[in-house]
Amino acid sequence: MSALRFVLNGEGREERAPPSTTVLDWLRLSARLTGTKEGCAEGDCGACTIVIRRPGENQFSAVNSCLLLLPQLDGCEVMTVEGLSGPDGPLHPVQQALVDTDGTQCGFCTPGFAMAMFAFRDGGEPAEAALIHEALAGNLCRCTGYRAIVDACRKLPAAPAQPAAAGGAGSVSADGPSLGAHACGGQAFHAPATLAELMELRAAHPDAVLLAGGTDLGLRVSKQQEAFARVISTQAVSELATVRAGADALHIGGGATYTQALPLIDAKFPAFGALIRRIGSRQIRNLGTLAGNLATASPIGDTLPCLMALDAEVLLRARGGARVLKVEDFITGYRKTALAPDEIIAEIRLPYLPAGRDFAAYKVSKRFDQDISTVVAAFVLRREGEMVGELKAAFGGMAARPARAAALERALAGKPWTPAAHAGIDALLAEDFSPLSDHRGGATYRLRAAAGLVRRFQLETTLTGAPLRVEAL
Amino acid sequence: MQEKVKDAPSSQFKWVGTRAVRPDGVDKVTGRARFGADLAMPGQLVGKVLRSPHPHARIRAIDVSAAANLPGVKAVVTRDDFKDQPSEFIPAGEMMINYRDVVRNVMAREKALYEGHPIAAVAATSTSIAKQALKLIKVDYEVLPHVIDVVDAMQPGAPLLHEDMITAGVEPAPKTPSNVAKRVEFGHGDVAAGFAQAEIIVERAFTTKPVHQGYIEPHACVASVSEDGQADVWVTTQGHWIVRAHCARLLGWDVGKVRVTAAEIGGGFGGKTVVYLEPLALALSKKARRPVKMVMTREEVFRASGPTSGAHVHVKIGARKDGRIVAGEAELKYQAGAFAGSPVQPGAMCAFAPYDLENVKVVGYDVVTNRPKVAAYRAPGGPISEFAVESVIDEIARKLGMDPIALRLKNAAKQGTRAAYGPKFGPIGFVETLEAAKAHAHWRTPLQKNQGRGVASGFWFNIGGETSVSLQLNEDGTLSLTAGTPDIGGLRASLCMMAAEELGVDLDRIRVQIGDTGQLGYNFLTGGSRATFSSGMATVEAAREVIKEACKRAAKLWELPEDAVEYMSGGVRPAGANAGKHAPMTLSDIAGIAGKTGGPIAGYARINAHGAAPSFATHIADVEIDPETGKATVVRYTAIQDAGRAIHPSYVEGQYQGGVAQGIGWALNEEYIYGPDGRLQNPGFLDYRVPVASDLPMIDTVIVEVPNPRHPYGVRGVGETPIVPPMAAIANALADATGVRFTDLPMSPPKVLAALDEARAAGTAKM
Ligand SMILES: Cc1cc2nc3c(=O)[nH]c(=O)nc-3n(C[C@H](O)[C@H](O)[C@H](O)COP(=O)(O)OP(=O)(O)OC[C@H]3O[C@@H](n4cnc5c(N)ncnc54)[C@H](O)[C@@H]3O)c2cc1C
Ligand code: FES
Ligand code: FES
Repeated sequence: MSALRFVLNGEGREERAPPSTTVLDWLRLSARLTGTKEGCAEGDCGACTIVIRRPGENQFSAVNSCLLLLPQLDGCEVMTVEGLSGPDGPLHPVQQALVDTDGTQCGFCTPGFAMAMFAFRDGGEPAEAALIHEALAGNLCRCTGYRAIVDACRKLPAAPAQPAAAGGAGSVSADGPSLGAHACGGQAFHAPATLAELMELRAAHPDAVLLAGGTDLGLRVSKQQEAFARVISTQAVSELATVRAGADALHIGGGATYTQALPLIDAKFPAFGALIRRIGSRQIRNLGTLAGNLATASPIGDTLPCLMALDAEVLLRARGGARVLKVEDFITGYRKTALAPDEIIAEIRLPYLPAGRDFAAYKVSKRFDQDISTVVAAFVLRREGEMVGELKAAFGGMAARPARAAALERALAGKPWTPAAHAGIDALLAEDFSPLSDHRGGATYRLRAAAGLVRRFQLETTLTGAPLRVEAL
Repeated sequence: MQEKVKDAPSSQFKWVGTRAVRPDGVDKVTGRARFGADLAMPGQLVGKVLRSPHPHARIRAIDVSAAANLPGVKAVVTRDDFKDQPSEFIPAGEMMINYRDVVRNVMAREKALYEGHPIAAVAATSTSIAKQALKLIKVDYEVLPHVIDVVDAMQPGAPLLHEDMITAGVEPAPKTPSNVAKRVEFGHGDVAAGFAQAEIIVERAFTTKPVHQGYIEPHACVASVSEDGQADVWVTTQGHWIVRAHCARLLGWDVGKVRVTAAEIGGGFGGKTVVYLEPLALALSKKARRPVKMVMTREEVFRASGPTSGAHVHVKIGARKDGRIVAGEAELKYQAGAFAGSPVQPGAMCAFAPYDLENVKVVGYDVVTNRPKVAAYRAPGGPISEFAVESVIDEIARKLGMDPIALRLKNAAKQGTRAAYGPKFGPIGFVETLEAAKAHAHWRTPLQKNQGRGVASGFWFNIGGETSVSLQLNEDGTLSLTAGTPDIGGLRASLCMMAAEELGVDLDRIRVQIGDTGQLGYNFLTGGSRATFSSGMATVEAAREVIKEACKRAAKLWELPEDAVEYMSGGVRPAGANAGKHAPMTLSDIAGIAGKTGGPIAGYARINAHGAAPSFATHIADVEIDPETGKATVVRYTAIQDAGRAIHPSYVEGQYQGGVAQGIGWALNEEYIYGPDGRLQNPGFLDYRVPVASDLPMIDTVIVEVPNPRHPYGVRGVGETPIVPPMAAIANALADATGVRFTDLPMSPPKVLAALDEARAAGTAKM
């Protein structure tokens, strides 16, 4: 069993630690790098933000170190706030910008913001308000009201063409991942590099925890302090990371992160792309995967209504073979799926929409960014003249599992697609769903909001020139 | 856009009023600044707290034997480790505390009074052992009925939290106990006679939910008690002298044995003015004879540290048709959490403070409920009552068809006005903020579809208090300034600037540090917007002492009388008849001769700062409502406030913007949500929504400067007023856009949509 290898702030490291150690704990308690802060240990505040560059990537991504397990750093270049300015160099431009605009008050959030800004600049994006907001959505500041921090982002000088120069970190490379398994303190972590190895391991250890980005699973470690006896990571399996536009469908690998999948999803299903941009924050999307969202099968998993409305399929693979299920059949109940213990999600297939289909996706939450949905909806419409040929309407947050609205779909088929349809929608949805009331929204509000979304879809598809988009709800 | 009006007077200064680079900025962007959880002591143990799962339960027995015997566990403490304290109220900042309650809040005694109430604490060699130990502690609870809502708690027959609580402030004293700890009343004139003259009366009931300060840094400390009883605590706090006082009292130790060092503080907003972990860590460390570190999880912060009150407020205001208010009346019911001491008193005092009223009466009730004990939160009590009053004033203006700024101007308090809470105001800048609002481009910019505009004003007292500062002249002429009020919002920079101004030296000649409790005389906490005011006053005094001493030393050297030497821009020279007799000496020269002219030179100011002056604000908010989902978004916001004088305008703007951001969260999203089981349902940032960058507009600020004549630089204190107006400004904007008056906070999408639907059905909605 080999040690973990990664580059931290420009220095190569070889480490052994129990695999269920979060990167944040390791940084603060073992490496004594206390610049990275813990504000929540749940992925919500961003105070723990660090940047990593995975093998083969040419750009740093911001991630929540509180959700990340130490072995997930294997083979990565890692930078924390301590690495930004280099041993005796001047402040890094993001640090200087925060000083110049008085972007700090108490300063507790500052290291996290500095790292999120570093990744933003490293990505070479223009400093526009919407992109800045998106880049900062995973970081909370309670003192400043953000104005000074947004100003600091605006003032950032463009990154040099070769971002590796930052703090000298890029100049040293890890000797590559240690390729294999780590065990320490009675816990094992496997990071197979090929699909074949993964399937062998899965068959051998059906009770092991299968880990992708860890944005759902990591909470069990960081919040509940659970220690996993055995983890199998999908992260290093190159076959699973691919996102490919096939002839009839988009193929999203079972290990692809939201960030990896977004460019092609944007190109083929812009409304889905816009919805995905509202899942968590960039830190979360840089780790989280569509497969993880699907396997979690939460009633408010944001991607599920889109996958259902788009007739997506999942390719499940076991050592002995493979099968394909429709997403609707894959989700069997509240957080329940048809996945067998020795199976993995190898791929999600999104068939392209035939010409002339209208597709829209909506998310209702209290905040625009970094918020859990109250209601999510996705619609695909085929029109016959003024009439509804076929409507597929899928909702999350309305029942124990995301589901299509059968009564609504049936009733609207063959009816005029005009505001005349609006009146009956509330009653039809009430037939389809009896949502729970919880602190995110009461049953009445959920029904009312869901009906509002159908009406909005109707208006947006018939008002000429109205763009189809995810509304800032 | 960030503007300053009345800028002129500041230009007489070299440093004061400039945007100098702040001394703590670099350490904060490099990660070097050391916060509460960043210190590790050799051999330290991890301390964890067992908390009550019940909102209300009698604790029959606690058995810690299994936990204590677990290998790796070094100490366990429970209620038995803390002596009971007599009941006695003492002032603590803007709130009052009673040690009988403090000892029960840090560790439950007879009963657990809220979910999250500490029952026991352990110190162990690792977090996982400590957590395992907590599971081994057996607690025998008798679960009791609980009460969460403030109005329910006031009903006869409600479950009693404290069986001996007799309402104070009522004559004759009630014979039976209740959950009402206290009744307060303020006002003057005759409200009945006032209402009789009114041509319009608006009366409304409002509710607000408890909201948390939401500092991003959780409570954290490390404590170490040596074998001879010397104790050290490193802690994130707004007042380390207060931590020392509380810990010494609760543990029965000499104050002088306890030394407390304030870490860099990751936000407090009033919430870090009390003790939670510190006495436990000390008690554990004493038992274990090793340092103990304790850090709260975010969940613990929400469940067991103090939010501010939720409240029911009833307001009635009468006015004449010309807009002159003839009477104002309010009844406030504030929930205090598990122990008496809600901020209902300041809330009652603030309610009508911005207005010059002949007839005014405010009655307040302090009510205990099975929730965590409230702690101070930025202008404690003020935002709640002023939200209600400012909403009713807006409604009156709307009903009279009057401009809401004009109506406020007609009734605004000025110098000499007798405040509703008693005293007469000195020079104040309320009218100036209203005039600045009226003149602001924001007020005249046309609105877009589905948008509304609201205006609201706010008031906060500000306080002074005991303060010590030392200023040493070092041997090379540089200076070391030590203050005792933790720096949350840029205090070190402001003190440095005032000292540099006095001494006529460059900023980089002075290094400011926050001293520990062994280094200075008593310092009251950073709170009540007092730090820049009080420590600033003390700094000026200490600097003047250094100047005096410098003159004395030069006089000695030059063999001149003391008054024949004058201090000018960073040095001394012979004055008057002796002018030119000796070459001037710089402060560095003086430092060089300090030894042979009498020893080291230092100024040490120990004051009880008086003369704190209130700060008024007027805010303008534009809000856009989504008619389908009820979601309100603040699209433009301007905060105008009197700072007295802005020592460092950027920090003053930062305080305005930060307060507004918290106010927007309070107005639209933040709330404590309880289930019928009395348990908090949203103890995390995922479901307790504080605003992120995209939730807020670029908040504009205008600094008005009406100097406080009782401070050497005119400072008023600015930190708290900014959170007062936003709730009403936004509610008033919503009323403008929708035609619906919102009286329940937060104005979250489901509530707004439901109200809109109702108004649509009644034909009164504007959208
Ligand atoms: C702060 C925060 C914000 C969030 N916001 C949102 C949000 O807005 N919307 C939303 O929908 N979700 C949100 N989430 C939840 C989470 O990010 C998503 O569900 C994410 O898609 C999970 O992916 P992952 O790769 O991180 O999964 P992991 O945590 O690695 O795994 C989740 C589950 O999927 C299984 N799994 C993973 N990959 C495979 C595979 N290839 N085959 C079979 N099983 C697999 C795992 O075994 C596990 O059971 C949020 C989470 C956090 C912490
Ligand atoms: S600590 Fe809050 S996101 Fe990681
Ligand atoms: S500066 Fe205090 S949380 Fe951002």
